[in-house]
Amino acid sequence: MAKTDTIPEAVSPLREAWGQFLKNRPAVFGLALLSVIVGLVLYGHFLHDADPYDIVWMPLTPPGDEAGIWFGTDFLGRDMMTGLLKGGGPTLLVGLSAALITVVIGILMGALAGYFGGWVDDLLMRLTEFFQVLPALLFAMVLVTLFSPSLWTVAFAIGIVSWPQTARLTRAEFLRIRELEYVTAARSIGAGNGRIIARVILPNALPPLIVSATLTIGVAILFEAGLSFLGLGDPNTMSWGLMIGQNRNYILDAWWPVTLPGLAIFLTVFAVSLVGDGLNDAFNPKLRSR
Amino acid sequence: MPLEKTDALMSLRDLKVEFDTRHGRVTALSGISLDVKPGETLGIVGESGCGKSITALAMMGLVPNPPGHVTGGSIHFQGEDITRARARRMRKLRGGEIAMIFQEPMTSLNPVFTVGDQITEAILLHQDVSRTQAEKQVVELLATVGIPEPAKRAQSYPHQLSGGMRQRVMIAMAISCRPKLLIADEPTTALDVTVQAQIFDLMRDIQREFGVAIVLITHDMGAIAEMTDRVAVMYAGRIIEQGTSDQILDNPLHPYTRGLIGCIPVLGREAAGAEALPPLAEIPGIVPPLHLLGEGCAFAERCQLADDHCRAQRPALEIPALQNGGHPVACHHAGITTRAELPA
Amino acid sequence: MGTIRYIFRRLGYGLILMVGVVVLNFLLIHAAPGDPAEVIAGEMGGITEQMMADIRARYGLDRPLPVQLGIYLANIARFDLGMSYYFDRPVSQLIGQRIWPTVLLVLTAQVIAIFLGVVMGVLASRRPNGPFSGFVSVFSTVGYAAPVFWTGLMLIILFSVIVPMFPVEGMSSARFRGGGFAYALNVAHHLVLPATTLAIIFLAQYARLSRASMIEVLGADYVRTARAKGLGEGPVIFRHALRNAVLPILTVAGIQFGNLISGALLVETVFNWPGMGRLAFDSVLRRDYPTLLGVLFCASGVVVLANLVTDLSYRLADPRIRTGGR
Repeated sequence: MAKTDTIPEAVSPLREAWGQFLKNRPAVFGLALLSVIVGLVLYGHFLHDADPYDIVWMPLTPPGDEAGIWFGTDFLGRDMMTGLLKGGGPTLLVGLSAALITVVIGILMGALAGYFGGWVDDLLMRLTEFFQVLPALLFAMVLVTLFSPSLWTVAFAIGIVSWPQTARLTRAEFLRIRELEYVTAARSIGAGNGRIIARVILPNALPPLIVSATLTIGVAILFEAGLSFLGLGDPNTMSWGLMIGQNRNYILDAWWPVTLPGLAIFLTVFAVSLVGDGLNDAFNPKLRSR
Repeated sequence: MPLEKTDALMSLRDLKVEFDTRHGRVTALSGISLDVKPGETLGIVGESGCGKSITALAMMGLVPNPPGHVTGGSIHFQGEDITRARARRMRKLRGGEIAMIFQEPMTSLNPVFTVGDQITEAILLHQDVSRTQAEKQVVELLATVGIPEPAKRAQSYPHQLSGGMRQRVMIAMAISCRPKLLIADEPTTALDVTVQAQIFDLMRDIQREFGVAIVLITHDMGAIAEMTDRVAVMYAGRIIEQGTSDQILDNPLHPYTRGLIGCIPVLGREAAGAEALPPLAEIPGIVPPLHLLGEGCAFAERCQLADDHCRAQRPALEIPALQNGGHPVACHHAGITTRAELPA
Repeated sequence: MGTIRYIFRRLGYGLILMVGVVVLNFLLIHAAPGDPAEVIAGEMGGITEQMMADIRARYGLDRPLPVQLGIYLANIARFDLGMSYYFDRPVSQLIGQRIWPTVLLVLTAQVIAIFLGVVMGVLASRRPNGPFSGFVSVFSTVGYAAPVFWTGLMLIILFSVIVPMFPVEGMSSARFRGGGFAYALNVAHHLVLPATTLAIIFLAQYARLSRASMIEVLGADYVRTARAKGLGEGPVIFRHALRNAVLPILTVAGIQFGNLISGALLVETVFNWPGMGRLAFDSVLRRDYPTLLGVLFCASGVVVLANLVTDLSYRLADPRIRTGGR
């Protein structure tokens, strides 16, 4: 082997974690599965483009009974395949935006509480506890019912009920990191509070927050599915949860209109969890040997 | 294997312990032979990672499995090979005949039970007494190990006691069933210096009162000088020098042992009668990872005296031919202290 | 601090949280688009001017907001949660009937989930890299990812179409006439599927958590001490290790109670279980806001109580908290 005098290239922690992630087989499987699902949801219309509300055949036709209707029809005779391809969009969109709202509120609350401590911490933590007492789905139901359901009210309702966990995690990280030397160093060269929070502490708190944000997407998708199942989603868009809710009264006659959309939700959340677990392992090398 | 007749309480013969790791199977102990005689104090000394704690756990039959395995040799306790003993028999010996105290008194007691309950549990396991009698014994034991208000303290939870008090509780638990052998794994490392001295005093008192043999495991030559009758020095899973405490402290033959003694602070060295030694020196480097050991002497990489012979062939543990007598040591240059003395 | 004083302090804090929930309800009624009186009346149709006037007088809707809040709080302090104009009955009466089925469902599911979860976690921790441990990891991810209402529907397909063993609807058989023990058996039979469905998600999480917790505790020094005493594996695991390993599980069990109620809402809807969740679903369909807000209030109360019980059991389980140490 040739000896070189070059210093090994510095590897950023994120890139190193990515390398670790790629060695984790379940995580890579999850990522691949997720890519396929997102690909089908985004570009599925190139394969099969139709209106999910169109009635195409006899109601409750089993999968494969009729050429071209591979996944059967629902209780009104609408094509399940169209519904599955179109129904993922709102689910993923609401899931992602709800997760974004959750993470933004959670990080803001947690960062302020953890950084300033004292009465700010007390006040924000009481608020967090208050929101943890409210049963999340019930509160989201109330919000959506009072303010008429649309994609955005649903996403907002989910965000409003889910942020406390992110806030607690962020607070714990900020409490830990604000005592470290480099924060003192930043303060000693005159960095202001805003700068220290956003540019010094937050980047160092990111790994656990990235993991939590990923898992939050899964929770938000389940949430959206639950609300749509109850008929509280946006009434004008097809979604996986809605398909299950509408077809559940026919479950004893036809398994597929309920089973297939549920399987789609399950696979999506499963893939997101695998990715989240993989990220967690990648950021915590100490735990890997377990 | 024929065992030579000894008066030893415990005899380790050619003991081999291996661990399964990510780097494959690694040898943690490669052929340890030791005797512990009744009522004596044997020191096992070395840096962390040299195998001294594994030796202690092996003596208790507690090598963590998986990933560890005793793969060769024997440990005879009062004539019985405990590496072959059944689990049931081993549990009877453990805590009954052989007891152990650990390095971390802060974490070695279960936080959710009172210290009294934890000692009572040990007594009820090994003695045929009622719970009330056992609880009475606990109070006496706590008094024996010098805990004030023992009846009240028995009701305390571990977190309500200081580190020194907790180590006294551990000692009380260890001697509760009058063991013949007490293994102490770095019993004072986690404690303040003044408390260390108190714990050593207590251990000496206990030994005098109960006649228990003690195996003291430590990295601290000062503790060896203060406590032990005989010493085994370990390095990278082997014993590299063995003798009476006086032999080892006054006339260390292995460069590693000299390095360890060099690490006694000056005050301690005067107490140890080792004034004639070279000035305080550090041993450069660290113990090599066990999976990277080669054919030669494991200490060669850190040794000033090492030559090609040392790197090629591992020295055996034997009494060297020296005019001022000697004790077993595993070094090709036994007794030589500087490079200048090396044969050309 | 004495346990009694602690209980009172926690009760006081819970009371403050409940006042918070009431204020939130009040704000929601006023923040919702439209006339608060119409919100309270709901979209029941055929509402008379006389009824609207009653509502306005009852809630003091022509008076300043702080006074209205005061009236609202005073009403609730008297357990007056308002009137359900759809069911034409007081909300407190409606909830009083529906709260017990929910409590029964939630507690059964929680007990099953914790018990089986801990058993699975302990078994898995015996061989952290063994096949059962792998199964627990996969199961916990799968159980967590499956939407609870879908799991319920799948169980209905399995147990009514394929192997008809358990009833899939309601809390007791419609024509059931017996009483006492026979009735309890009938309810238990109906409870099997809903409770199992609800338990599965939480079972998955508890199994994963107790596996991790047991693996950590089994490596602790005090477990080595217990072995060094000569204790056998049974007492080492169940007395020394488990007592410590359940502490994080207790904490999570408390936090999960709100989620358990959310899950119960969906499960009750799937299995037609006559609890608060089903009531909430019905009142959403009928825009019956007083009932919906009443359910939110009572469900929050259940969570507050559950948290109190969790904190107390944690205090009992961990002497470091009880005796004010670290």
